[in-house]
This record gives sequence, C-alpha cells and structure tokens, in this order.
Amino acid sequence: MSVLIGGVLLAAGVMLFILEPVFSGKGAPLYDGDDAYDDGAARRRVALTALRDLEYDRATGKLDEDDYGRLRTELSHEALAHLGEEEGGGDGGRGPDRASRELEEEIAQLRRAIREGMQCSGCEHLNRSGARFCARCGEGLGGGG
Amino acid sequence: MTILGEIALWIALPAALWGAVVSFAGGRFGRSDLVLSGERTVHVVTFLLVLVSAGIIAAFLGNRYEYYYVVNYSNRELDTYFKVAGLWAGQRGSLVFWTVLLSGFSSIAVFLNRFRNREFMPYVSGTLLGILSFLLIVLLFADVNPFERLGFTRANGLGLNPQLQNYWMTIHPPTLYLGFTAFAVPFAFAVSALLTGRLDSRWIAVTRRWILLSWFFLTIGIIFGMRWAYEELGWGGYWFWDPVENASLLPWLTATAFLHSIQIQENRGMLKVWNMVLVVLTFLLTIFATFLTRSGLIESVHSFAENLRIAYIFLGFMGGMAIVAAILIIHRLPSLKSENHFQSFLSRESAFLFNNLLLVGVTFAVAWGTLFPLITEGFFGETRNVGPPYFNRVNIPIGLLLLALMGIGPVIAWRRASRRNLLRNFTIPLAAGGVTLGVLLALGIRHGFALATFAIGAFVMTVVVTEFWKGTKARARIAGEGFMSALGNLVGRNRRRWGGYIVHAGVVVLFMGLAGAAFDRLVVQELVPGEAMTVRSALGTEYRLVYESLSHSRPRVAEDVDENDWRWTALMTAYRNGERIGILRPERRFYPVMDQASTEVGISSSALEDLYVIPRELDNQSDRASFEVKLLPLVPWIWYGGMVVAIGTLVGLWPPRTAPATAAVRRRAARGAAPAGAPG
Repeated sequence: MSVLIGGVLLAAGVMLFILEPVFSGKGAPLYDGDDAYDDGAARRRVALTALRDLEYDRATGKLDEDDYGRLRTELSHEALAHLGEEEGGGDGGRGPDRASRELEEEIAQLRRAIREGMQCSGCEHLNRSGARFCARCGEGLGGGG
Repeated sequence: MTILGEIALWIALPAALWGAVVSFAGGRFGRSDLVLSGERTVHVVTFLLVLVSAGIIAAFLGNRYEYYYVVNYSNRELDTYFKVAGLWAGQRGSLVFWTVLLSGFSSIAVFLNRFRNREFMPYVSGTLLGILSFLLIVLLFADVNPFERLGFTRANGLGLNPQLQNYWMTIHPPTLYLGFTAFAVPFAFAVSALLTGRLDSRWIAVTRRWILLSWFFLTIGIIFGMRWAYEELGWGGYWFWDPVENASLLPWLTATAFLHSIQIQENRGMLKVWNMVLVVLTFLLTIFATFLTRSGLIESVHSFAENLRIAYIFLGFMGGMAIVAAILIIHRLPSLKSENHFQSFLSRESAFLFNNLLLVGVTFAVAWGTLFPLITEGFFGETRNVGPPYFNRVNIPIGLLLLALMGIGPVIAWRRASRRNLLRNFTIPLAAGGVTLGVLLALGIRHGFALATFAIGAFVMTVVVTEFWKGTKARARIAGEGFMSALGNLVGRNRRRWGGYIVHAGVVVLFMGLAGAAFDRLVVQELVPGEAMTVRSALGTEYRLVYESLSHSRPRVAEDVDENDWRWTALMTAYRNGERIGILRPERRFYPVMDQASTEVGISSSALEDLYVIPRELDNQSDRASFEVKLLPLVPWIWYGGMVVAIGTLVGLWPPRTAPATAAVRRRAARGAAPAGAPG
C-alpha cells in the first residue's frame, strides 16, 4: 500500500513539475538577442588567432618573409572582412568582442616587439622596446646604456 | 527501493515522450512555455532514471533472487563492488546505465545552455528526449526489463562471469559509456542546426568541448579495456580484434576524424557536409558499439548472448536515424556549401583531409572485418571469421601513415606550403627519423613495421618537441618572460593547439609500445618449489624466477560453496639482472557457483618491459607447476602513452579564462532578454 502511495505521489510530483509552465504561462527564453556567438565574430577570432600564430611562426623561423607576407595579407583581409560583417550586423554596430580585442593587442605587441625590440648585442636576447638594459644578461642597450 | 525504481521506469517513459513532443512543438511554434516544460522534463527523466538505477543496485545488494537480471549476474558470495557493477554487467542493466548517463549529460547540456544558444535548445532537448524515449520503450517492451520477475525466488544467483570479476570491471565500462553517451550532445546540436538552418560553425563552437569530453572518455575507456584484457585474459595481449573491442574503436576513429575536420570548417569554412556526416556516423556507431555487439548478433568474448530481437530493434533505430539525418542534410545542402576550396595538395588542409580519409578507411576496414562473419552467414550460409592477421595487415600500414601525418600536419603551412616552408621545417625531423632508422638497423633489427614505427615516431616526436621549443623561445624573447612562464602562457593561450600536440606525443609513445610486440620472448617451463628458471629479454635483461611455493586458499578437496572463489597461488621471487625485484603471485581460481576456472597472471613492470607470468597448470598434490613466462618489451609505454594522451586532452578541454557574468547580465537573462558571454 505504501508503495502504491509512493508511486502515485511520485507521478503526481512529476506531472506537476513538467506541466506547471503550460498552466502558469512561465517560459524559457527562445532567443539570445545579444547573441553569445556570431559567425562573423567567430571567424574573425579564428583569423586573428591564425595571425598571431603567424607572427610566432615568423619569429621562430618557421616561415620566411615571402610566405609570411602572403599569409599575413590573406589573413588580415579575412579578419577585416569579418569585422565589416560584424559592424554591419543587425544591432547597430558593436565593436569587436573582447577576445578579438585581446588578440589584436597581442598581435600588435608582437609586431612592435619584432620591429622595435632592442636586440642585445651580447646575448641576442630580444628585449621590450624602450628597455635600457638587457633583461637576460644586464648588458646596456643602445645609446641609453 | 527496487519497487520504487520499477515505478520510476514506468513514469519516465510517458514523461520523456511528452517532453520530446512539447520541445519540438515549442521550438516550431515559438511557445516558450512548452520549451520550458520540455527542459524540465529532461531533468525529471534524469531524476527518475537515477531512481531506476538505484533500484537495480539495491536489488543486487539485497540479494533479490526473484529478479531474472539479478539471478543471472550475481551470487550471494560476490564482493559488494561487483554487485554494484552488476548495473552494467549484462545487457538489461547496461541499457539502463547507458540511458541514465545519457539523461545525465542531457540535463547538464540543458542546464549549461539555459541562457544561451536558445534557438537550438528546444530541438536539442527534443532530440535527446526522443532518443531517451526510444531507449525507455525498449526497456519496457522488448523483453529486457531489468525488473522482470521469475515468479519464484532462487536461493542463490548464478554468479558473475569470472572474466568480469576484475577491478577494471568497475572502471572500464563506465568510462567507455561516458564517452559514448556524451557524444549524443554534439549529435543533438547538429540535428538542431539542421532543423533551425543555423548552419554556420556555431553548433561546432558550442559543442567542441563536448566532443573533446566524449573523446577523452572514449580514449581512456579503450585504454582501460586494453589493460583489463592484458591482465585478465592471460596471454600477454591487450588487443584481440574482438568484435566488442572493434565496436568501441569505430566511434573513436570517426570521432577522431571529426575532431580534426571541424578545424577545417572553423578555419576555412570547408567540409560542412562532411562534418555533419561524421557527427551522425559517430553517434550511430556509439549505439552500434553498445547494443549490437552485446546482443549476441556477433560472437565475441564479451557478448553474453541474450536476445537477438533487441539487435534488430537497434538496427531499425540506427537505420531510421540515418535516413532522417540524410534527409535533413540533403534538404540543407545549399546552406552547407564550402566557402573556400583546396588551394594545394601541399597544405595543412590537405593533411587534415588525408587524415580524415585514412581514419574513415580504418573505420571501414574494422567494420568490414567485424561484420564479416555476419555477411558470410547472410550470403553463403556459413560463418567465416577474419582473425587478427587481416586486421593487422590492413590497419598497421594505415596506422603508420596516420602517425606520419601527426608530424606533417602541425608544421605544414595552411593554404599552400612553399618548398622553402617544407625545407625549413622538415629537414631536422626527417634527419631524426633517418638517424633512428640507421641506428636500429645497425643494432640488427630487421622487423619492418617496428623499424617504420620507430623511425616515424622519432620524426613526429622531433616535430612536436621542436614546436614547443621554438614557440616557447619565441614567446620568452618577444614577451620578455622566463622559459617556464613563457611555456605556460604559450600553452594557455592556445590550449587546443598545444593540447593536441601533447596528444600526438602520447600517441607516438603508445605506438612504440605496440611495436614492442615484435620483440616478445616466450619460455614455458615446469618447476617444483625451490627450482628456478632464467629468461633473457630482447633488450638484454636477464630475469630469474624462483618458484617458492604453492598456496591454497581452500582445502584441497572442498565441497563448500560459501566462498565466491577458491585460489591456488604460486609464489615466485623475481630477479632482474641479479637484483631482487619482488614477489609475483600468478594464480588459478575456481568459481564454484559458476563452475568455471580463471587464470590470474603475475606481472612485474619496469620502465622498458614487462615480465609476464602465466600459470598453466598447478598440481594440487605435488605442488608441481608449469609456467609460461613472457618478456614483453615496451608494453609499459602503451600505458604511459595513454596517460600523455589523456593529459593532452585535458589541456585542450580546460576552460578558457572568461569574465564571470555580472549580476546585471544574469538578471537581464532571467527576464528572458539578452545574455552575454563567450560561447561554450
């Protein structure tokens, strides 16, 4: 008998729980609106990640200047094309998302470091731009030292 | 508790059916109340299935021998943890276990996406509840009800198959099933993408971590299974090309292909149809692996044949799903066009595509070999088997090509690789492979596949190590970081890529372990207590085994059946190059309830090889014993490689740093408006 009562109570509880939204009109959201994902942004992140890896590949000597130049042009076009899509999107031109901004900053930093970085004449360590002493061996850099 | 479980099973079916219908209807007609009801149903079904599982376990623990299932897979004397494992010991319980894991993952997926990917979610819930409904119908109406009663109560159960009475029994099946069932979530998202027409890479981005999670469990599940076979089946092998092993390998192969091909879609917008096909195929193969092979349709050491009808039911289900998926994919073909095309044969895309073709090739070869007995029976009326020679002949060469691609893929350029790119990146790894080959040849090794494995392995390992080395050095230089923090940041900022490389390194180690089989040595010898034997391995190590004594866990003539098993244990002291390394306890067991015997081997591992002792005959009266002693070089590397693969997968799986959602965002989301945040 107690089993029967337990079963009935269980069934009743289940029904109450799953039917309640239908009677009360409570609902789950159907759209995200400000979507967590948008294809343009995702493609842009992918292109930017590839660009960042490209900078590393160049710095590590995996790519020579020709290959680097060709791929950089292609990937930059792609990133820019998707930026256009994103800004032209339905909700009034959001800027790039946080992850993309971080990647862009990282790429810019990489390029700056490669372009302006101060290579130590002693140990060949590439220091941050503006550094006056080598971070590895302490040797003075450029005119400032 | 058991009765409550039975009641819960009956309540779960109508609930799941309701949920499936209202979820699809809610999505189709934009009714948020129906969608919420469907999502609540997912959680309710999970709760009910937990009650069902608890009911079955309670029946095992309470020795309820009025239940057919409990009688067939247990006995009073069985250890408690094997009784708990009774839940997945046989077909009926396995079906429940699979269903409860699937509903658990469904609940997690619904919960994690309660504020995001909302367009997908009604169809995701609907698809998952649809699969759950099907499984519940099978459980209740296809003669596999785990709560079926005998009509009388037996004094004791018939016992659990001795081969299953091993601690891996409590670990291996659950791990593998977690892998199988987790894959249903990406499948449900794929169906949802097809139904909603949102066919960009979103469904992949959302489910990427689910795919990796499933792959993680599948991989370690398969490796645990190998370890189990190695310890339990008692002939020093870890893979038998047995139908159930093959069946677990099939979804792993297609999931591996899928993990690679989604990167092409994400990076280049290509292979969209192919990815849909792979996700559907992998899901269907998880069903195949769980149910068809256990149904007795194909004979195997694993299948404890029960019920062929269920095989046909699942075949029908797979066929139905395949047709629905095919119709959906064909219907959406115009939206699944590639955005780019292959620019060159020498590119990373090509390497990935080639990897996919090879993996699918292995899948077909393994499936063909596994189904061959069935096919010959169907067409010629006689069952013919293909054995390990077939599988090895076909799969080893393909495996070696795949291994080589693991070295080529990571360093070849996207789009089009120039000759300079190839020269720059492949000279050193190729030289490493060549040197390895030369050294091994000079050492007198002539085994072709072993030589190829080591040479290619050295090539891939050099690529992986060089990638890490160069990447870390560049980062240290550019960002001005120390070596270790540069390495940490390098991996941390692109976990998928570097995690993938770690996985590749693990696979290399694993392959070398497999190649070690070329150098196995075997000696059979009869000994009396006090005698010793000496064996020398292919690596030059000398092992000496002193047979000390034979111990009996039961009287020599025993009629009692109050023990689960009786044991005859040989004690052997082992010496490696004259140094004592420990005591081995190879053992014969007899299970009176099952009236079956089993062999437990003695294993002593070093970093390079295993000493593996199989007791062949143990004589009760004279204590004379005959032993088969195997020296298995590099077997430990299989397990080390497996660990590295697991670690690499976890690196790829680890969530990225994301800003926690602010209270305001959550409030906004709760009102049904817009949430924000990174995708899953």
